[in-house]
Amino acid sequence: MSLQTLRVLEAFLENPTEHLSGADVHQRCGIASGTLYPILLRLESAGWFVSQWESIDPSSAGRPRRRLYRLTSTGLRRASEVFASFNRGVLV
Amino acid sequence: MSQRKYSADTDSLSDGDSGLDYLSHWLIQRAAHHTPDSLPQRMEEEWLADMAARTSALSRLRFAIGCCWATLVIAYQRPLVRMPVGDAVVAHANLGRFSRRSSTLFLVASLHAAVFYGLVSTLSHTRPSAAPPPPLQTREVPVARPRELLPRLDPQMAQVTLDMHRPDMDLHYEPDPSDVTAKFVEEPSHTGPPSVPDEPPAHPVRQVQGGPGAGFPDPDDFYPMLSRNLEEQGVATVKVCVAANGRLASDPALMQGTGRARLDEAALKLAKAGSGHYRATTENGRPVESCYPLNIRFRLKN
Repeated sequence: MSLQTLRVLEAFLENPTEHLSGADVHQRCGIASGTLYPILLRLESAGWFVSQWESIDPSSAGRPRRRLYRLTSTGLRRASEVFASFNRGVLV
Repeated sequence: MSQRKYSADTDSLSDGDSGLDYLSHWLIQRAAHHTPDSLPQRMEEEWLADMAARTSALSRLRFAIGCCWATLVIAYQRPLVRMPVGDAVVAHANLGRFSRRSSTLFLVASLHAAVFYGLVSTLSHTRPSAAPPPPLQTREVPVARPRELLPRLDPQMAQVTLDMHRPDMDLHYEPDPSDVTAKFVEEPSHTGPPSVPDEPPAHPVRQVQGGPGAGFPDPDDFYPMLSRNLEEQGVATVKVCVAANGRLASDPALMQGTGRARLDEAALKLAKAGSGHYRATTENGRPVESCYPLNIRFRLKN
């Protein structure tokens, strides 16, 4: 697992129930878009993330809807195992 | 697609920004169009929405160029994964749609855009202003002789001493039921003999350094959850400037970090949240504004 993938997982582990868009993850990790989106799609295809469109009215919000990602229970468990192997203590 | 409603937002921008945004939109549409299978529509909308969160035109262009690269990576890793798109799961791959010629075209277009933006920004900085500044005027200023600049020693000043007392850091936190505690660390007091003059001072100044007072936030509440899980510990030293009313006179600044960015940020948040709950430094019993270091320890309990 690459360092960039670990940083993406770390951003989601800050609050495992939070929904984050690609822009949010970029703000937290500083990972460029060329690296970020393949990671998000790869983790989603592996079942670690689920994604859905933001439920807003773009006209009233004044911005387009975003694609939001969230850790699945499987992703949470696997990510915790990964970090536990490094730090011995991610308990969620 | 809802994203298309916002394509006209760039009309209100300047010509340079509008041109770059047009290029960014075009790059993202081209990149999304070349993503495999049923992803193009989703990726175009997702990328355009995330790009709209960027503040500057150059940042949006960098984002768009990154999306071009992301398309290549997604197409490369495509045979390895099954990508859910909306409610459907796409099982077959198509790697031949993003040809080497297209990627070369993207690269060349991106380089041209970067050079064009650099030229435009450089020329805009070198454009002469309409109203030249008035010429500088010179006049002679009498220069004082060095010996006149030396301060004269007031005989009374030699008799004034500062009576520094140990900071009153008597915070006691109730033990937390959780397995994590964080507490303040007191500065070690000076034990050496003070330099007291032979004669008693004429006007002694009794100064008591301030510190966290009643109602100061509990450091445990600021211990980052991830830091607890990763067992990150340390002591951060934060410089706080406290006004006479116990509120912060300026934003706290990190003097010495813990080596963990999360803990340093938490220490600054804690110091800031304590504004209004500091005990001000007193001089002869009168609260005054002062700055002093505040040590905050984040420690896990076994």
